[in-house]
Amino acid sequence: MKPSVLLALPARFLRPVRWKSFITLNVIALMLLQAPAMELATTNAPVAGVSSNNLAEMDIDQLWNTRVTILGPSEAISRTPAAVSVVTQEEIKRSGAMNVPEALRLVPGMDVAQIDGSQWAVSSRGFNDQFANKLLVLQDGRSIYTPLFGGVFWDVQGPMMEDIDRIEVIRGPGATLWGANAVNGVINILTKGAESTQGWLVSAGGGTFDRAFANARYGGKVGENLSYRIYGTYLNHDDTPLPNGSDSQTDWQLGRGGFRMDWTPTLDDLVTFQGDGYGGKIREVFMVAPAFTPTPDVMHVRGLDVLGRWTHMFSDTSNFKLQAYYDRTERQSIIFDEPRDTFDLNFQHEFQPLDRHEMIWGLGYRITRDSEANTSTVSWADPSRTENLFSGFVQDEIALVKDKLNLIVGSKLEDNGYTGFEFEPGTRLLWTPTTQHTFWGAISRAVRTPTRSDNDVIFNQPPGVTVYGNGGQQSERMIAYELGYRTQPIKQLSFDVALYYNDYDRLRSTEFGPSPTQPVSTPFFPLHFDNRMAGESYGASLSATWRVTDWWRLQPNYTVTRIHLHTLPGSTDTTSVPSEEGQSPQNQVTLRSMMDFPHGWTVDCGLRYVDRLAFVAPAPSVSSYITADARLAWRPRKNLEISLVGQSLFQKRHAEFSSNAILANPQTQVPRSVYGKVTWEF
Amino acid sequence: MNAVVQRCRRVALSVAAGLVLGLAGGAPAQDRPTDYQVKAAFLEKFGKFIEWPNNAFATPGSPLVIGVFGENPFHGALENLAARDTINGHPVEVRELKALPDLKGCHIVFVASTAKAEQRDVLDAIRRSPILTVGDTDDFCDNGGMVQFIVQNDQVHFQIRNEAARAAGLKISSKLLILAKRAGQ
Repeated sequence: MKPSVLLALPARFLRPVRWKSFITLNVIALMLLQAPAMELATTNAPVAGVSSNNLAEMDIDQLWNTRVTILGPSEAISRTPAAVSVVTQEEIKRSGAMNVPEALRLVPGMDVAQIDGSQWAVSSRGFNDQFANKLLVLQDGRSIYTPLFGGVFWDVQGPMMEDIDRIEVIRGPGATLWGANAVNGVINILTKGAESTQGWLVSAGGGTFDRAFANARYGGKVGENLSYRIYGTYLNHDDTPLPNGSDSQTDWQLGRGGFRMDWTPTLDDLVTFQGDGYGGKIREVFMVAPAFTPTPDVMHVRGLDVLGRWTHMFSDTSNFKLQAYYDRTERQSIIFDEPRDTFDLNFQHEFQPLDRHEMIWGLGYRITRDSEANTSTVSWADPSRTENLFSGFVQDEIALVKDKLNLIVGSKLEDNGYTGFEFEPGTRLLWTPTTQHTFWGAISRAVRTPTRSDNDVIFNQPPGVTVYGNGGQQSERMIAYELGYRTQPIKQLSFDVALYYNDYDRLRSTEFGPSPTQPVSTPFFPLHFDNRMAGESYGASLSATWRVTDWWRLQPNYTVTRIHLHTLPGSTDTTSVPSEEGQSPQNQVTLRSMMDFPHGWTVDCGLRYVDRLAFVAPAPSVSSYITADARLAWRPRKNLEISLVGQSLFQKRHAEFSSNAILANPQTQVPRSVYGKVTWEF
Repeated sequence: MNAVVQRCRRVALSVAAGLVLGLAGGAPAQDRPTDYQVKAAFLEKFGKFIEWPNNAFATPGSPLVIGVFGENPFHGALENLAARDTINGHPVEVRELKALPDLKGCHIVFVASTAKAEQRDVLDAIRRSPILTVGDTDDFCDNGGMVQFIVQNDQVHFQIRNEAARAAGLKISSKLLILAKRAGQ
């Protein structure tokens, strides 16, 4: 496991099978008998003419991502000692995903629930919420985790979907390398190098839920060694209906533009410079103090980021990376109003100090400054804060038995403005007895550091309570124990199993009474944050990839999550335990089918079952549901694609999550929807 | 719950129907390239990311020679790609190699998996020569090869042993090395 971007994660993984009720044994037998025969049939039919023309024009990154029919030596399975999945551009495109949260539905074990037109709850291994604060998310090496509430403002994040190279997801802790808040997972969204996005790409479409969207990108070259692209996107997304069918007034419009430049001045150096800017209007309905009546609002969001990265390779075992970025986000609403500036500097170096040792270490500095406006609903003990984060990490991968047994040990060390010094050590063991079996195990410690709101917020909530931040809030701690196994018993079939047991301590709770660090300032009943909750979670994810024939792939997955929490002595919190236990599904099943047909046709389907969610009253529960997405696409010419996508097809509408106290709609529902799209490259 | 079971049944039926139809309808030939077509494309493009010593080319216009040792698995794909391309001003020439003396004059050598028995001899014969060695057997790099193709998740990737390349006087671009880092982990 290596840090993102430069040495991002490994290739892709295999997904689980547990959909027995769907496929009878007869059918399985039939397929096993038929599959090899089919393969011979197709391999004899050369498709060289068309595709080798395409291949001649592809650059090296595109070739790397090209799916092939296998004639030569068979496949290797992943050797990463973590529960990792990589979602590729092809999979994102073929799923019909219109944004990053939808694309994350492709990851085995991810829990993705749409709350309303523009808001999502995304987590893995439990603790899901609109601001799921134990999942760290980065885009091209830039953190998009907000230190305000914790979690990600998904409504403004994500690149142009066509420019994503891959999304790498680690379920479980990644704190040893990525640091604080990488507790239950790390997501790295990685865009393509500019060399892979040459020429024009224009795509546009519209439908019943994604009302209208348009994307344009142009990529060019200056000389042999410098490639660049510029892009612009626009989306207009409808709101979700309320249970009675009326509008929830949560629609969403966003425009975004940006660039990326990749320069290779020498064979050993790679310089990337990239930036994005966005602006949009998001409608939302909030509960506004002091009357706590649902109040429609238009949030204005704006943001800007620029990033530079220099990678130098001394050799294939030694390199360094220096990266700096600046990020500004602005979000104005009737309940809060925040401009925030962040500057981040990061250095990392990988080398081989001794035979059998691969060492990687790094240093980081981040400064973030916000300025919070006080509203009648949310105000702040401190209107503006500047936080410094200093960090360092070191990790050694030791080949105990060459190519068979590897041990990884390391730790992150951080100093943050809220809790001071934190350390996040981890150790992983990888055993690969043969190329067909990978076993791994890990023990790691991770922390979720307090957010700005945990410390300073004064939040007036219905029915008449005020939650105060606690300046003495401590970090939430976790020790995770993980085991995993991957195998490929036959060429057509591979399995990936991951098990975990997480031991949590000092989880955030909400207690009666005034905050120890803040005077009571409103007429409402005071509550405050504390760390009086602990507990455990455990679970498993089983996934498989079944190459039924060389034109058909099936990827089934089953994920089970169990969470048992309790409050600590002295706690008066009666809601945090049931809400954290209830807000993540115990069982999830997905089945994805990808089919390639002649003459440029592809047919893709995804089925998913999500168990019921229990929310603390008055928020309504969410029933279990099973639904499907499907995509039909035709490529009449190699540079033109026409697709039709149906999403959430099984019900007219269904709920996926209930709101927290900020949002006025107790529940909105995701409608069945259809959109069409045309993509043209020239 | 009953509704779920019913739905499962319905889905099971349609999946089964799809299977039967798909199988009965015969194998559709899709537009996906074969692994060897992609390997040929890589092989042909690798030259753009390698620096050879000055004396490796007689003149700036002399050809870059890609040799295929053993039975040529590319069925003309490599030759087609080579015929239409130049690499840093060099035309690209593909040769089929039968014996060790044929290795002389090559800039890139691909050792086919059918020549696995001779793999070690080939690698030993050109260990210190400025020739990029590429193969797709699983012990290619362990035996001193520089670039080894591996197929993972239906994609062709490669890993690189850069010490071997450096020892032979070749310089490989960071672009390739970074990509190779993602292989096979």
